[in-house]
Amino acid sequence: MKIFLRELRANLKSLVIWSVIMALLILVGVTKFSAYFNNPELLKILDSLPAAMIDAMNLRAFNLTTLSGFYGIMFVYFALLGAIAAAMWGSDIISKEERDKTVEFSLVLPVTRSRVVTAKALAALVNCIVFMLVTAVVSIGVAQKYNPDQAFYNYLVLEMEAMVVIELIFLAIGLLLGCTMKQYKRSGAVAISIILVAYFLSIITGLKQNLDFLKYFTPFKYFDAGVLYRTGQMSGIFLLISAAIIVVSLTAAYLTYNKRDLYI
Amino acid sequence: MNANIYKHEFRMRLNSVIIWSIALIAITLVFFSIYPSFADQATLLNETMSKFPPALLAAFGMTSVDLSTTIGFYSFIFLFAQVCLAIQAGNYGFGLVSIEESELTADFLISKPVSRAQILNSKILAAFTSLTITNLVVWVSSFTGVMLFGGGREFDSKTMILLLLSIVIFQVFFLSVGLVVSLLVKRIRSVTPYALGLGFGMYVLSAFSSLEGVSKLEFITAFKHFDPNYIILHGAYDTPLVLLNVAISVVSLVASYWLYTHRDIPAVV
Repeated sequence: MKIFLRELRANLKSLVIWSVIMALLILVGVTKFSAYFNNPELLKILDSLPAAMIDAMNLRAFNLTTLSGFYGIMFVYFALLGAIAAAMWGSDIISKEERDKTVEFSLVLPVTRSRVVTAKALAALVNCIVFMLVTAVVSIGVAQKYNPDQAFYNYLVLEMEAMVVIELIFLAIGLLLGCTMKQYKRSGAVAISIILVAYFLSIITGLKQNLDFLKYFTPFKYFDAGVLYRTGQMSGIFLLISAAIIVVSLTAAYLTYNKRDLYI
Repeated sequence: MNANIYKHEFRMRLNSVIIWSIALIAITLVFFSIYPSFADQATLLNETMSKFPPALLAAFGMTSVDLSTTIGFYSFIFLFAQVCLAIQAGNYGFGLVSIEESELTADFLISKPVSRAQILNSKILAAFTSLTITNLVVWVSSFTGVMLFGGGREFDSKTMILLLLSIVIFQVFFLSVGLVVSLLVKRIRSVTPYALGLGFGMYVLSAFSSLEGVSKLEFITAFKHFDPNYIILHGAYDTPLVLLNVAISVVSLVASYWLYTHRDIPAVV
């Protein structure tokens, strides 16, 4: 419990910085959105288009004249920021002890290594959830101006659930890196490359039809805002894949950290 | 400038430069390899799109650039290269002097018979050299990509050079902002989260720049200052924003020198 509280306090600043970035993003987005919301010209054009074309271009899910459409577009960025923050928190919370040469101290405490990892992981988890809540609250706050309906709230809740799952995936990967990398400096670098590669894949998947299989390799594609909007739920198979990634990473993290030589 | 410090700093960063360069080569070429088949699809798409009312296309940011042209597709790759370059430059900037402090080697360095300004000169120059190598790699791989996968389509090399020329200012921006932030805070424990936050934070803030409407907040991000869409559409830089960008870099650098020469450096007790 003490470790948990200490970690929460130590990570507070980072949480605040990430929350500010997220709030800025939503503010920039909403300023742009105000020009589109219920814009009569656009509505007229949309009405004149054949329904098939609207579906083909995904205009219903990303219809910028509605609040839900706007948040459909925002979701990619929520996921991206959530993933980066979570991966950083996960890898840093473990590896910083070695970097700051405090690892001997924390491991001579009368608690097992597993307990230390658990307390740290929980603290990072709380960070991730608070980060999601900040996103949700700011989103709901700026949405008030546009008279959101119940459907919008349902959609936002769904998006936030998906965001937490993505955060959890990257948190687990981050913890794994923190626990396994012998050189503390390397865990951050590897985390960067995983995020960049995943993001890169998620962009390239959309470019060409026959590259579609790549979507299994990038968590950013697991929960597509358009699909979330159409089906109203997260896809089961991707939830399973996410759960598998999380469980495998965490198990591997505990196993290696318990046995590993620490850098002193 | 001190040659020893310069050499040491440069050698320390060599590995990282090589890795970033390989990553950038891979990104450019992999993206470009999709281009030939994408271009055919995109031409079809363009024909369909030309039937849409222009107002709709403008509203959804689809007029931005024509992805079927080589330069249009390149702008897409370039934005991604910018993200990588920003993180790399931010990384070097944040770590330039803060790593010495967190690894407790700063007092050793400071006790050498060189002035702090000289230390900072050598470090900045070494980081700049590293960034320039990466920059050159981007130049070479971009032109290679065009030659390999351009398929003899018409290609606007002047605009591409304009885009590539912007990299150096872009890198200096992230290097100097990283440096000044690292000197403004009491200590930086780990460089990576800061660099990622700065790089990706600015990237997402500019994410909506292709949509209509202006948000003042956008002007703080360097990605907006060198928006590839703008450069391609206008065939020129957005001069006021570029000047703003340069101004921020200059102020950051000047402030860094002042802060570093006046800084309390923690020593090993």
